[in-house]
Amino acid sequence: MAQLTRAAPERVLPRAKPRRNSRQYRAAIPYLFISPFYILYVLFLLGPTVYAIWLSLHEWAGIGPSRWVGFSNYTRLFRDTAFHQAVINTLWYVGASVFIVTPLALIVASALNTRGLRGRDIFRMAYFAPMVLSPVVVSLIFTIIFDQNFGLLNAALRGLIGIKPVNWLGSPTWAKVAIILLLIWRWTGYLVIYFLAGLQAVPRELYEAAEIDGAGPLRKFREVTVPMLKPVTAFVSITVFIGAAQIFEEPYILTKGGPGQSTMSIAHFIYRAAFLREDFGYAAAAGVLLFIVVFVLTRVLAHFFGVGREERA
Amino acid sequence: MTAQSPVTARRVKMAGLYAVLIILLLVAVVPLLWALSSSFKPVSEIFVYPPQLWPSHGTLQNFSDLFNNVPFPRWLWTSLWVSIVATAVAVFFCALGGYAFAKYRFPGQRILFDIMFSSMMIPFAVILIPLFVEMARIGWADQYVALIVPWVAPAFGIFMMRQFIVQSVPDEVIEAARIDGASEFGIFLRVVLPIVRPALGALAVWNFLNSYNSFLWPLVVLSTEERFTLPLGLNSLVGSYSREYGLVMAGTILAAVPTLLLFFFLRKQLIEGLTVGSVKG
Repeated sequence: MAQLTRAAPERVLPRAKPRRNSRQYRAAIPYLFISPFYILYVLFLLGPTVYAIWLSLHEWAGIGPSRWVGFSNYTRLFRDTAFHQAVINTLWYVGASVFIVTPLALIVASALNTRGLRGRDIFRMAYFAPMVLSPVVVSLIFTIIFDQNFGLLNAALRGLIGIKPVNWLGSPTWAKVAIILLLIWRWTGYLVIYFLAGLQAVPRELYEAAEIDGAGPLRKFREVTVPMLKPVTAFVSITVFIGAAQIFEEPYILTKGGPGQSTMSIAHFIYRAAFLREDFGYAAAAGVLLFIVVFVLTRVLAHFFGVGREERA
Repeated sequence: MTAQSPVTARRVKMAGLYAVLIILLLVAVVPLLWALSSSFKPVSEIFVYPPQLWPSHGTLQNFSDLFNNVPFPRWLWTSLWVSIVATAVAVFFCALGGYAFAKYRFPGQRILFDIMFSSMMIPFAVILIPLFVEMARIGWADQYVALIVPWVAPAFGIFMMRQFIVQSVPDEVIEAARIDGASEFGIFLRVVLPIVRPALGALAVWNFLNSYNSFLWPLVVLSTEERFTLPLGLNSLVGSYSREYGLVMAGTILAAVPTLLLFFFLRKQLIEGLTVGSVKG
């Protein structure tokens, strides 16, 4: 806005014009345009991240004075079985996202990319729809679907393959499976659109050339599709990894992290430590550990896919 | 016979493909239809075996309870206006920032871009606690500004706009406007923005969905029930009306309507906008 108000009188006064085109002023323009992001970045992201590190070295109940405790919050975390449980649960969610949801999305996208398929837009839209809903809405809907006695899922399983009702939300193992099923339901269609866009960008001639070389569908997939999809796969894996690493709503609403702590995620652990147990330093320490792990693993994933290498070339 | 069999084989394969795709479509859609059907059921009918897809005693009681007995309209209104304000500001800032990254060359550009890009990799849970403390210190706890201000220049939005502007705004157009004596901001406003209008739609939908659906941050910041956003309100319904699942389902259906409508009408732009940066890396 400052821009506008300054520009207006300049049109009236021709003498001001050289100033508008002056080198200094021109040089400042791009910085001005990107400044909103960096102001917010410093205030609400970088600042809090640094503050998180400071907090993690203190004991603080949210009010009153804080006390320096060195690394004892971290050593406590390493000994806390609830935290171990939260880390293991989160690894399950991350693993399911990277190793089940991502390949599944690639398969569905390949199917949607079949030449001559009708209704592609309808399929793509229906598969994407779960992602536009709030995770809260989705989790509430699945609460009644996973119900042991009256839920749709158990009724369907009984009708189709005649198995006994599964205690989806009440058993530690099945509750984890239920949350993973929900993740698959919610994320797959979202990732499909990325893979489909990637597949549609692969030039047909490459497949035709492979066909002339006598490649079957499997070899074409391995030698044309997979390398061409590398950038998309990198993007998708990193997106889904970061998303799953901070999962909160699904286990929080579906199972309240239970039974016991069998489905509690790291984000839920942090929330509980700070807002239910008033252990802010401890919660901050768990956040810092999460940050380190996500940062390192994202780098590893990016390195694995060679992200940034071509870009700099 | 020999000439016909590849055609038949292809038909069988296509039929199989359609069958699988339709089953997946049902898997995606049935839970939503189930919620819709449950929202018209009295509680006694939700918890029955076998489950009934079509309510036998259809009722609008859940919806009228939603409007008369709980502050549902207020939650909905809060969610809508907060998301709309946040989105309007975010679209402006992201387009402006994306334009600068796409069309200017300036010292430090590379590092600034990397800082912005890698900020997307900081999990929100990391800053949850310190950001909440910061909000409390500056008096924004339980205030709507806390839901809006920190999120009005999302990195992904700037990245998305940069990709779009690189692809669709030719340098010549900008140069021509510059020679005509347009101010730099005027070029952005009157030359660049009209060209990237579809991308603005995509960004707006993406940002609206994020803001409207967010849960963890409002859960931490807001404490007064009257000030709740919709996801918080729905969550609190489960607490206070634990077995009133018809009511909860009616709430989820009404909460889903704005997002589903928006998605339905702007899906092409949204999907194009989301994927614009991913294909070429």
